[in-house]
Amino acid sequence: MGEIRQIAIYGKGGIGKSTTTQNLTAGLVEHGKKVMVVGCDPKADSTRLLLGGLAQKTVLDTIREEGEDIELDRIMKEGYGGTKCVESGGPEPGVGCAGRGIITSINMLENLGAYTDDLDYVFYDVLGDVVCGGFAMPIREGKAKEIYIVASGEMMALYAANNISKGIQRYARTGGVRLGGIICNSRNVDRELDLLRAFAKELGTKLLYFVPRDNIVQHAEINKKTVIEYRPDSNQAQEYRNLAQAVIENTDFVVPTPMTQERLEEILMEYGMMELADDYKI
Amino acid sequence: MAKLLDKQRYKCALGAMQTVQAIDRALPILHSGPGCAQKLSESIGSSGYFSPNIFPCTSINEKDVVFGGVKKLNSTIENALKVVDADLYVVLTGCIPEIVGDDSGEVVSRFEDAQKPVLYAPTAGFKGNNYKGHEQVIDAIIDQYLEKSDKKQKGLVNIWADVPYQDLFWLGNLRELENLIRELGLIPNTIFGFKRGIENIKKIPEAEFNLLVSPWVGLSNVKKMERKFNTPYLHYPTLPIGATETSEFLREVGEFAGVPKDKVESVIKEHEDYYYYLIERYADLFLENRVINKQFTVVSDAQYALGITKFLVNDLGLVPAKQFVVDDTPKKHRQQIEEEFKKLNFGIEAEVLFETDGYKIHEEIKQHDYHGYPLVLGGYYEKEVTEKLDGNFLNISYSVQDKVVFDDFYVGYTGGIRLIEDIYTVAVQRFN
Repeated sequence: MGEIRQIAIYGKGGIGKSTTTQNLTAGLVEHGKKVMVVGCDPKADSTRLLLGGLAQKTVLDTIREEGEDIELDRIMKEGYGGTKCVESGGPEPGVGCAGRGIITSINMLENLGAYTDDLDYVFYDVLGDVVCGGFAMPIREGKAKEIYIVASGEMMALYAANNISKGIQRYARTGGVRLGGIICNSRNVDRELDLLRAFAKELGTKLLYFVPRDNIVQHAEINKKTVIEYRPDSNQAQEYRNLAQAVIENTDFVVPTPMTQERLEEILMEYGMMELADDYKI
Repeated sequence: MAKLLDKQRYKCALGAMQTVQAIDRALPILHSGPGCAQKLSESIGSSGYFSPNIFPCTSINEKDVVFGGVKKLNSTIENALKVVDADLYVVLTGCIPEIVGDDSGEVVSRFEDAQKPVLYAPTAGFKGNNYKGHEQVIDAIIDQYLEKSDKKQKGLVNIWADVPYQDLFWLGNLRELENLIRELGLIPNTIFGFKRGIENIKKIPEAEFNLLVSPWVGLSNVKKMERKFNTPYLHYPTLPIGATETSEFLREVGEFAGVPKDKVESVIKEHEDYYYYLIERYADLFLENRVINKQFTVVSDAQYALGITKFLVNDLGLVPAKQFVVDDTPKKHRQQIEEEFKKLNFGIEAEVLFETDGYKIHEEIKQHDYHGYPLVLGGYYEKEVTEKLDGNFLNISYSVQDKVVFDDFYVGYTGGIRLIEDIYTVAVQRFN
């Protein structure tokens, strides 16, 4: 049994981090891997597909209502294929400090012994962008050593990815955290594959996998399932298995080289994004 | 720039708790961690109205950081109103709730209909020191409690000076300033100390003008009152100590308030006659001890550095070495204060340095040639360095270990005499 691979998934809000993480997890489970998913988002929707619904009580809700003297099984539920699912949760919108909430939750998981030796992978599904120190918690203090950024060919997704890389670079100086690559969750943008490859190269990393767009993902979500569970024979299920394989085999971990805003826009120009507005027709 | 904290001379903005405690029957309610409260409660003499060490505090912990501390604040205010019979409750917030983003102002506004006023002053330490915190509390009173008054009381003057408790002599100074204003035929109004409190606070908008006796602290408050209440203000930057400055002070206040000149001059004459009678009687004392106190340095906040420098030059004829202002004076006020240090009699100008680093100050003191025994008036931190230089030391400002002050003061004619007594008490002891 090797060391647990602790992986943080970052990316722009709404890009599909939670969907990708859970489908990837399902792929890893099929490979016989033991996985824990820790949702680090106050919305607490990072484990919905694995658990078959938002049935879970979050760590912070539990602490709020029952205090800190709790057992692990109160906050950890078993989901698809024996995955361990935890939602950090957060304060009500508009009050308190969600970042500190993430820190509190992860510390509690450690204290309660959630990181057992039988685990192969732990995923941290972190909200939107790195908004404050609290949301960088999974990559601080040597927890997640490996990061994947979910992006698409849309401009704002790449802005966010570049910004996140700045955060990774900061923590890479002192800790062992490294960028494992970009996962493209396709939006069917023109020349998306080329753009993402060029973008990843500029960051000093690679496009780990290109997940094509398929409506079956939405159907699976409505049914509160991962695609692999919902339609194991579909093409998209195979895509996620391939993604899992790519993660398993990945050995390229780098300190990213974030680019200036000007350089980022140059790349976007080069791949035609900026010209889109001219051709836009309703 | 980050640096080693050396000889800190003030507290964080939450230290404004002292300002609240200086108001008779006012109660601070702290929305902070218990550590902040514990440290601040160690102020000398700050018994306040209720207790020196017992006051409502939300004592926030990690849970309150994550989920927000507003519920706890709400219940703390609610229960403070039930348990402690005060006239005024002032919620002071520390760093944590301000960073987390607790809407403390909204919580306090829920108590608008309470029988007693509940106010809110954001006093997070990262906003500045307790001089700024003091201004926040006065702002809270102006913004949240007082309304503009159509009724103006003839001759009523609000007097504002420096920060209670941070200024060792705050109580005596305020009382003596009141006496001087009263002698001009005006009616003084102050809010700090014995039997002032809420009734005097209510009178603030009725005053004819605000009199601010301070180099910079409180300037934003009187400006705010000018906007809100249409109350003009007179900013007199020098704490008047001794005859020269106090007579100047009375003339300026008299002119601003429209007091007849002969009235002002008769008040001045009576005081000066007695003042110089005392000075003359002890002329031989000054003469005999001349050599030991030729040059002096003050290490203090702007208020005392300026007030004492003017006094020692103008009244005692001493020569200023470098003066040190240690209150972290905001940059926008510094030039005006530097100008004041140049307005000394006999064409003398004093060099002044705004510096909060005690080490650097002591190095400068050590390197200066005082042409005799140095006279250093400062915080207790200056005692050791002065002794090493075989100088004379008087503890006149924070930090205070050498002196107990109930209501002693250095302001006015009498205050000047008290300061001379204190300086020469130190001087004559050399020969005992």
